[in-house]
Amino acid sequence: MRLPRRIIAVVTPLILALAVAACSGGSGGSGSAKGHITRGGTATMAWVGASPNFIFPLAPATNTNGYNQNLTDPLWPPLVYAGNGGQTAVNPQESLFSSIIYGNGDKTVTIDLKHWNWSDGKPVTSRDFTFVYNLLKATVPNWWLYVPGLFPDGVASVATPDTHTVVLNLTHSYNPAFYTDDVLDNVQILPQHAWDKTSMSGPVGNADETTAGAKAVDAFLQKEGGQMSTFTTNPLWKVVDGPWKLASFASNGAWDYVPNKQYSGPDKPILARMNNVPYTTDDAELNALRSGSSLDVGTLPLNDISQQAVLKSEGYTVVSVPLPAVAEIIPNLYNASVGPLLRQLYIRQALEELINRPQLVSKVYGGYADPGNGPVSVKAFPSWVSPLEKSGGPYPYSPSTATALLKAHGWKVTPNGTTTCQHPGSGASDCGAGITAGQPLSFQLLYSSGAASTAEQEAAIQSSEAQAGVTISLKPEPFNTLASTVGICTASSHPASSCGWQLVAFGYQPNSLYPNGTGFFNTGGYNNLGGYSNPEMDNLINATEYGSSTSAFFAYEDYAARQLPWLWLPLRASLFVYKSNLQGFAPLNPLSGGNNPEAWYYSS
Amino acid sequence: MTAFLVRRIGQAVAVVIGVMVLTFVLIHLEPGSAARATLGLRATAGRIAIFNSTYGLNEPLDRQFVTYLDQVVHGNLGTSYSLQQPVSTLIAQRLPRDFLLLGLSTVLALLIALPLGIYQAVRRNGIGDYIYTGIAFTLYSMPDFFFAILLIAVFSVQLQILPPEAPQATSVAGMLADPRALVLPVVTLALISVASYSRYMRSSAIDTLAQDYIRVTRAKGLPERLVLSQHVLRNSLLPVVTVVGLSFPTIVAGAVIAEAVFNYPGMGLLFYQAATSHDFPVLLGSTLVVGISTVIGSLAADIVYAVLDPRIRYGHA
Repeated sequence: MRLPRRIIAVVTPLILALAVAACSGGSGGSGSAKGHITRGGTATMAWVGASPNFIFPLAPATNTNGYNQNLTDPLWPPLVYAGNGGQTAVNPQESLFSSIIYGNGDKTVTIDLKHWNWSDGKPVTSRDFTFVYNLLKATVPNWWLYVPGLFPDGVASVATPDTHTVVLNLTHSYNPAFYTDDVLDNVQILPQHAWDKTSMSGPVGNADETTAGAKAVDAFLQKEGGQMSTFTTNPLWKVVDGPWKLASFASNGAWDYVPNKQYSGPDKPILARMNNVPYTTDDAELNALRSGSSLDVGTLPLNDISQQAVLKSEGYTVVSVPLPAVAEIIPNLYNASVGPLLRQLYIRQALEELINRPQLVSKVYGGYADPGNGPVSVKAFPSWVSPLEKSGGPYPYSPSTATALLKAHGWKVTPNGTTTCQHPGSGASDCGAGITAGQPLSFQLLYSSGAASTAEQEAAIQSSEAQAGVTISLKPEPFNTLASTVGICTASSHPASSCGWQLVAFGYQPNSLYPNGTGFFNTGGYNNLGGYSNPEMDNLINATEYGSSTSAFFAYEDYAARQLPWLWLPLRASLFVYKSNLQGFAPLNPLSGGNNPEAWYYSS
Repeated sequence: MTAFLVRRIGQAVAVVIGVMVLTFVLIHLEPGSAARATLGLRATAGRIAIFNSTYGLNEPLDRQFVTYLDQVVHGNLGTSYSLQQPVSTLIAQRLPRDFLLLGLSTVLALLIALPLGIYQAVRRNGIGDYIYTGIAFTLYSMPDFFFAILLIAVFSVQLQILPPEAPQATSVAGMLADPRALVLPVVTLALISVASYSRYMRSSAIDTLAQDYIRVTRAKGLPERLVLSQHVLRNSLLPVVTVVGLSFPTIVAGAVIAEAVFNYPGMGLLFYQAATSHDFPVLLGSTLVVGISTVIGSLAADIVYAVLDPRIRYGHA
């Protein structure tokens, strides 16, 4: 079971003591050690599709390139390290806090920092935390991880009673699990003693303590953070507290790390060097893996699962990791033509019951997928999964139930034809408000193109929905095209230009460490594209954020599972490939995408 | 010739400005939001406002265009929305790579296609002509991604004698220092082009061989080798020059499939990714560069015409 936050604070010292006692020191992702540990060596990891372009960890709102986090997390790890081995949980050993204690009705957070040092020998202190807080507060909302109302908005004041203690006085009482997992895990601690200046040649001071000064410091760091040619040479970026230091960064997006000899944390790198190389496509990467290249770690698209045997013969091991996300079809409840249909829960229920999720998992994804029983991934977040979701969710595949449901609401069901409304009206046995006589159950499903498995899944859904006469026309579009054209539609605003879409499947929506529905299903949520709005849902989501009841989460989860603001789909896993003599890679941290090389080593 | 050049350069400037205006308008007519395409699904209204303000997208379109023109005149092509780098830097990083890859493949294709076309013309309707025509048509009809994957499967995966990736160095010198890695991408692109060049050359050489002056050279006893190399080759090159001149912009525009398969990010992938993510500055910058190269390629072809055929006198045209 997941440990409540207050208990983490108590048990952390014990875990640390055990970690110190363990000679191998692997905690980030290592399983049991196999073979003799060989110190040194180089591991090369492939990254597909993009590469970092910004090194200052507080990237601006206009730069949402997630690869920047891949670059910076090993240099400046977050206060709260997400992912503990294969568990979707806080990793207390890798985290910078030694305890986080909530008091005053969960309105006060006391964070004790570990006695770590920066790479230049200076201690990591509470002043480094206030430096970050001051910069964010002065420049809000221009931070790529900014969520209105949370950090730094939700902090009324910050106190630093000593060099290693930070006290946050919050404007609300927050659920400790939410605040630690979804808010504090986005905060990185940065070296005030080296970065608090407004020009490269200027002196380091306390400029961040005034709003104007903080803005000037931030502007300077933003400017330097985008200079890719100086990532390696700029003295600013040489002061780190993570396990690695940046050794090189090429204009093609390849970068290398070497160990930070001053790293204070538990998992001191065993490898002598870690190289990261970009690939344009999965195919290019797979060709490299199959041709005996120097790649030690890469990814394997599910479409190429048949290559497992070949890769094993090349000396690789294949491992899967669940994605911390939820896969979905988003219904547009305010589309001019099908909105009235999709606003009916019984129609969404029928659509869900016509999706053969177990078959999709086995046939399309070869078993490497989450069943998609509801709003929380069963495999990625086992400790947050309610009994209802564990048992298969409220709407298992059942074409007969779906057909009966439609008939009971006045539809003339024509299997493999087009089901039409026979009894318009708002009565219990009628089709529902706004639905006209003869209106067909026909929808267009936009989906993100590019992956053969996704196309197979959507075609299978199209086929299974037809069993009850539901017609789905499929339209693939590149992800970015979908993102740019699918607008947020609500009861009060649903212009035809951006609300012409009916159903959309982006692939999946990533969750944070605390997988509640904030932003997805609450009224006005930033990603509530279909305009779902329900006061009860809002209350339940608020309870997961602001309340402290452990049952609040399951109440929200079950309600969302039943209400179907989105249709639930299976969620493919990520497959990683690594050299069989590279140890410490598995079990994978679902939240780091395999990016914790400090735990890796070669076995002889 | 000078008057011709001045006139053509004037036309070129007008064409480039026309391309810029047309591209700018068409790009901004594309449905969808650049902010949401760049920031993704979690773009809050606040982030979208910052994005639009940062890049001037909240200004009227005409004002945006004036701002863009002003930037271009001052050598600034803007900053990529998604890559967050100056467009000029992105192009400067990728253009030499494409010049190298596509330039080498074009040269290789011409080295094969020109003698092959003449050989086929001389031996037209013979068994050799039929065999090479069959091979040329096969290569021409083969999708480049398929051909590339085929070569990788044989030479990289099965035989493991050539790397499946193009050189990963970031400088031309660095790429040239890894010639083995250049073999597969260059050969892929070259062999696909050989078909087209050799067909033009064959057709043109057949016409040239039927000319009276060729019969005269042969009647005078000039060795066949010299007839072909000094008279047939030169006089048959004009159509090929046109094709090569028109292929210059494709060299600049990159080869998106080859770049993707051979892990060789160049202009093609840059443009493709920009097109799918509403990255207006990159689209405009790339189009501008390709537009300029089209004009230059066309101009260069005209000049080469005059060199190859002294009867052509542009100054009197």
